[in-house]
Amino acid sequence: MDELLQHVVNALMLGGTYALLGIGLTLIFGIMRVVNFTHGELYAFGGYMIFMCTALLGLNFYVALLVAVILGVALGAAIELLLLRPMRGADIDTTMLIMIGTWIVLQNTEQMIWGGVAKSIVPPLSTEPLVLGPVSVAWLRVFVFAAAAVLIVATYALINRTRLGKAMRATFQDRDTAALMGVNVHAINTATFALGSGLAAAAGALLGTVFVVTPTMGDLAALKAFAIVILGGLGSITGATAGGFILAFVEEMGAGYVSSGYRDAMGFLLIIVVLLFRPTGLFARAERIG
Amino acid sequence: MPWLGLVFLASVPLWLRDQYFLHVLITTGIFTIAAMSLNLLLGYTGQLSLGHVAFFGIGAYASALTSLGFEVDIFGLHVVHEPWPVVIGFLVGIAVAGLCGYAIGRLSFKVRGAYFVIVTISFAEVTRLVALNWVELTQGPMALNNIPPFTLGFGTSEYTVWGKVPNYYVVLAVGAAAYLVIRRLVRSRIGRAMIALRENEPLATSLGIDVTRFLVLAAVVSAAIAGAAGGLYAHFIRIIDPDIFLFIYTVTMVIMVITGGKGTLAGPLVGGLIFGMLPVVLREFASPVAQWIIYGSLMILIVFFLPRGIVPAVHDWWTHRRGAAAVPERTRVRVENAANTRT
Amino acid sequence: MTRTGTRATLIAAGIALGMAANATHAQTIKIGVNEPLTGAVAASGNFVVNGAKIAADEINAKGGVLGSKIELVIEDNKSNPTEAVAAAEKLIVRDKVPVMMGAWSSTYTLAVMPKLMEYKVPMLVETSSSDKITVSGNPYIFRISPTSGMEANAFAPRVGALKIRKADFLVVNNDWGKGAADVFAKMLKSKGIAIGVVATMDASAQDLNAQLSKIRSSDADTLFVTTAVEQLTLVLKQAHALGLKRQIITTGGSQSPDQLIEQAGAAANGSYHLLFFPPWFPEASPDAARAKAFVAEWRKRGFTFAGLTEGFRGYDGIHTIVAAIAKAGKAEPEAIRKALWNTTLTGLNGKIAFTKAGPAGKESGQSIPAVYVVKIDNGKVTLFR
Repeated sequence: MDELLQHVVNALMLGGTYALLGIGLTLIFGIMRVVNFTHGELYAFGGYMIFMCTALLGLNFYVALLVAVILGVALGAAIELLLLRPMRGADIDTTMLIMIGTWIVLQNTEQMIWGGVAKSIVPPLSTEPLVLGPVSVAWLRVFVFAAAAVLIVATYALINRTRLGKAMRATFQDRDTAALMGVNVHAINTATFALGSGLAAAAGALLGTVFVVTPTMGDLAALKAFAIVILGGLGSITGATAGGFILAFVEEMGAGYVSSGYRDAMGFLLIIVVLLFRPTGLFARAERIG
Repeated sequence: MPWLGLVFLASVPLWLRDQYFLHVLITTGIFTIAAMSLNLLLGYTGQLSLGHVAFFGIGAYASALTSLGFEVDIFGLHVVHEPWPVVIGFLVGIAVAGLCGYAIGRLSFKVRGAYFVIVTISFAEVTRLVALNWVELTQGPMALNNIPPFTLGFGTSEYTVWGKVPNYYVVLAVGAAAYLVIRRLVRSRIGRAMIALRENEPLATSLGIDVTRFLVLAAVVSAAIAGAAGGLYAHFIRIIDPDIFLFIYTVTMVIMVITGGKGTLAGPLVGGLIFGMLPVVLREFASPVAQWIIYGSLMILIVFFLPRGIVPAVHDWWTHRRGAAAVPERTRVRVENAANTRT
Repeated sequence: MTRTGTRATLIAAGIALGMAANATHAQTIKIGVNEPLTGAVAASGNFVVNGAKIAADEINAKGGVLGSKIELVIEDNKSNPTEAVAAAEKLIVRDKVPVMMGAWSSTYTLAVMPKLMEYKVPMLVETSSSDKITVSGNPYIFRISPTSGMEANAFAPRVGALKIRKADFLVVNNDWGKGAADVFAKMLKSKGIAIGVVATMDASAQDLNAQLSKIRSSDADTLFVTTAVEQLTLVLKQAHALGLKRQIITTGGSQSPDQLIEQAGAAANGSYHLLFFPPWFPEASPDAARAKAFVAEWRKRGFTFAGLTEGFRGYDGIHTIVAAIAKAGKAEPEAIRKALWNTTLTGLNGKIAFTKAGPAGKESGQSIPAVYVVKIDNGKVTLFR
């Protein structure tokens, strides 16, 4: 029973950040229909930026976190403006290849600048864990969970309660009509990509502190992000959030009780099974966002 | 015209003395065959499969295990397999890969577009993890080594393909066969139906074309050819481990297809040659990290300026110079297609 | 194929094949180095190459060997077995190296082995630990790194001092980790120690809470961990956060205790590590002076201190090769291969001498290295005898 409780808490903590990763990608994949292979690199970028700010510039951890997210938004906007916008109208796989190329360039640039050795970030939190009976959890994880929750709620509010969000939803439903109604589709695309990238950078900064920062840290994260997006349904924030937690639970329980070697396979098997029965994901209701 | 290309390629070992380049040509050739198979799915049916390396790896493992022999316990049954001749192993590899293609085809064609992409990625990941953890059968991370090299014939009259030049010809032969199969398929009625699917699926369905059946057929042929490439890899490099399922190999194949020109027969060949030989060139003058950066940048540049790929761009330039009389192949097929889509 | 298709293919082929011949510089003895410099295990490959370069410079400063300077021809195998083979092919065919060192991971080394048989060029294996390498009947392989089995045997005498009654294992899910779990478990069982949970983790996994939670519920008193330093840092941190109270012993030689102290902090205290070179105690190494000089030079070049536990492999490897070349009297593959059997020297790890391993008539060479045990206490590394 103790072990089960611990597994549940582990999964909860992990699920929050998975959700963050998934939401960022579902926006980009859902609205822009871009198979965004740089999502993992924005995640790694967030990790390196927070490292740079804390270790080299000596900034306060929380400030550094904010800076990392802002830089992530900026990089996302830059990628969209420079590489994606000129390719508007091209096939989905042509754009995908540009994303792959960018992924390769970004990852190797990171290795060139920082080297392949892992970097770690020290947060201003106690390293002694919070112990509640049989369950033990690091304070840092609690903070990360809280931060992720805040970001998820903020994004949900942005999409559903603001004009920008309304414009995004409109573009998602019907690009041409939205354009006719006066929505600046180009700007929406940039904003969406930037927002999604910012969320990835946030996840990277948070998880980079929990784990370590390496040039290849984005690869597995990107794969999971795609999995979460599909589980939850393209364009659905609720879906991505739920998908994130579901994936975390399946992985945690699978590794704890079935087999630790097949841990990552659990998630993918789940996807295949889900898609067999619900081809548009668990939560998508046709083409909707929100 | 393609015969000219084949003769040229066949003549290469006669004048290329450098063994290193021959080695690289062979490995490039193997991945180009895999790229051709991906092109069938990606270019002609328009379905983006990012798990293609799974078929490559399954073909490799199936062929290797058949020719090495194995012993496992499945559900309490003790199964022992004696080593069989390599040629049989190779064919088994093709068959098993094709079967998996059929399964994936049937299962995943309920889903389209982005979802199909993820299902294929998931399939490749699951296959990798099975290969990694089912140690009894696959040796897991300990790797299957001492795989016998390609051997033609059985029993007493065997000819083992040692050395690079014979291996080169084996790869060339399989490549030529794959090319012919794909060409036949694409230019037939089935091929036109596939293209109809790619161009306008709802219209095609409304005209009575059985979408799923043709997609599944394409998946089977595509997977089988990828499996053949995998078998060639296993018997040439002679060691395989679960890393063969790594995403980077799929990426390599995708790069070859899209930069070369998807939906064209020559596309994967051109893309394959360029991106197969590019790392070799880069080794000569760039540091390891710089090599990757140049590789990635070149990829971006080609796709940026030639979004449809190199072969269509060259074709357009050529016909533009010759005058507007020639109709590009893709369009020609589209026109014919409109005239006779009834199956 | 359309006309333009053929044209394009021919042009591409021409460009690809029309490359200038490489220029060969006379009068240096070339040694091939086949290591992962990019990709998943780039950090380790770079450390090994750093060590190799220090050795090469040291040798050249003393005049080289056989009257010529040595030149390291370094190729990146991109953490990928296919590339390892291509790199080996290039080194042997184009650069015409008479001997190689490589290829770090067991899978890359296994992939290169057929090439060695084909071209009859010897290779010195500096890191790979798979048993298969020396029992495959390849007389061109000479290994100075230990198998996990040797490591376990060298560690066996100290088991009593550590008071182990029951042990769990958490290993990386590859040949190295699984191999270590197998042989250490066997060794412990032979001493009457019970084995508890044996869990694995994927090489790129960062969240290990599931495995650690399961281990926490077991009643063992010791946890053996085999993986590389990044994942090890995560294991220690997460074990600490879960309140896992037992002694942790790590194996494999890729632990870089300094990096652990730096990144895991208090979580690293109380852990034991099995290494093959203790840079903090150069006096413990059989050739203390040389060890001190190596550590000093490494520091001088500004390399990460934590990389010393891997860098020494490249250093010992190059010195072994050069000693063999000197003994052979000429820089030719067959001569060097024969000479390696008679080569003995004292490396940073200990005495290097090759004994026969593998099927009769086609033996490979294996040197049996020493194993050191260190403990991390209060942020400092101490030697455990």
